[in-house]
Amino acid sequence: MYDLIIVGGGPGGVAAGVYAARKKMKTALITDSFGGQSLVSNGIENWIGTKSISGFDLAKNLEEHLRAQAGIDIIDGDLVAAVAKRDDGTFGVTTKNGKTLETKFILLTSGSRRKRLGVPGEDQFDGKGVVFCTTCDAPLFGGKTVAVVGGGNSALEGVEDLLMYASKIYLIVRSEVLRGDPVTQEKVKNNPKVEIIWNAVIEEIKGETFVNGINYKDGKTGESKTLALDGVFVEIGLLPNSDFVKDIVALNATGHVIIDARTQQTSCPGIWAAGDVTDVLYEQNNISVGDSIKATLNVYDKIKKS
Amino acid sequence: MAKVTIYSTPTCVYCKMAKEFFAKNNVAYEEHDVAADMKAREDMVNKSHQLGVPVIDINNNIVIGFDQKTIEGLLGLGKPAVPAA
Repeated sequence: MYDLIIVGGGPGGVAAGVYAARKKMKTALITDSFGGQSLVSNGIENWIGTKSISGFDLAKNLEEHLRAQAGIDIIDGDLVAAVAKRDDGTFGVTTKNGKTLETKFILLTSGSRRKRLGVPGEDQFDGKGVVFCTTCDAPLFGGKTVAVVGGGNSALEGVEDLLMYASKIYLIVRSEVLRGDPVTQEKVKNNPKVEIIWNAVIEEIKGETFVNGINYKDGKTGESKTLALDGVFVEIGLLPNSDFVKDIVALNATGHVIIDARTQQTSCPGIWAAGDVTDVLYEQNNISVGDSIKATLNVYDKIKKS
Repeated sequence: MAKVTIYSTPTCVYCKMAKEFFAKNNVAYEEHDVAADMKAREDMVNKSHQLGVPVIDINNNIVIGFDQKTIEGLLGLGKPAVPAA
């Protein structure tokens, strides 16, 4: 029986692991990989204490820091699939690879995953012109015509990544406004390679072996239109990884775990949550770390009192 | 010994993870940067029908992405057991 199971290996999960190990709590951390969503980032300039670091190096540093702790069980390359609350108040945590672990307390730091469009052709052409990691695959679209879908920071950064390579970039925006940093907005808007299509709702991604275009609807006129393309880069935001606890903790309308911001406790006694999986106001690495530590110390208080 | 080829781009973090995994397990590999090498890109697309990296060729078995389990299987590498709770 563990004192604490930490779900996730991003900055929040690792921070919790370090603190839990130093408090000598019997702890396991379960994650598919380290670093969280920043893993694919080329450069992170706001990770406090480091002027600039790549997502890859951040992930390595986090993993090393965690592995340097004595007495924590690290289960990587796996995911939590289900959490069951037992009558005695403890929990059974089952992983995708079929392991079941028992614990008194749980900390959810499972973060978010990329939202998908949910249109025909998206799955079929995944890796065949439909791209979910712009930094990874932008160089493969040299001289090509592509579309970036989305209107927030990740979409704008996606356009920036592609400027070096693609010959024409359509930015497909569902509304009439861009969100995201004004500086990046200006840069994108002023580049002659970029054409913004407003009020566009994608209906289908088409192709044969590879993507050759999209169908979209003009949200204002209702008119259906077609665009010939070699690639579609989907950057439409994030979904919280909360599915495996949806029956035992309260979620808000967007699926984020509702927390008491003072203690990070969820609606279910014995389960805490921190970072992007929660209804936290700002989704930031540094905030996930702080909130996660707050949660771990609150768990420790509970153990001391019991 | 297995013949391993990885098709990568310089900005692809999953490619880096794959290469680090090979290094850690003493697996020799050949690397092609498909951002710069058009011939290699064509080979990659023909072999895998993929426009995404990494693509890894292990003895003519094509692995899409850094799929550690499949790669371990193809290379005959085992993972140490996780300590029981």
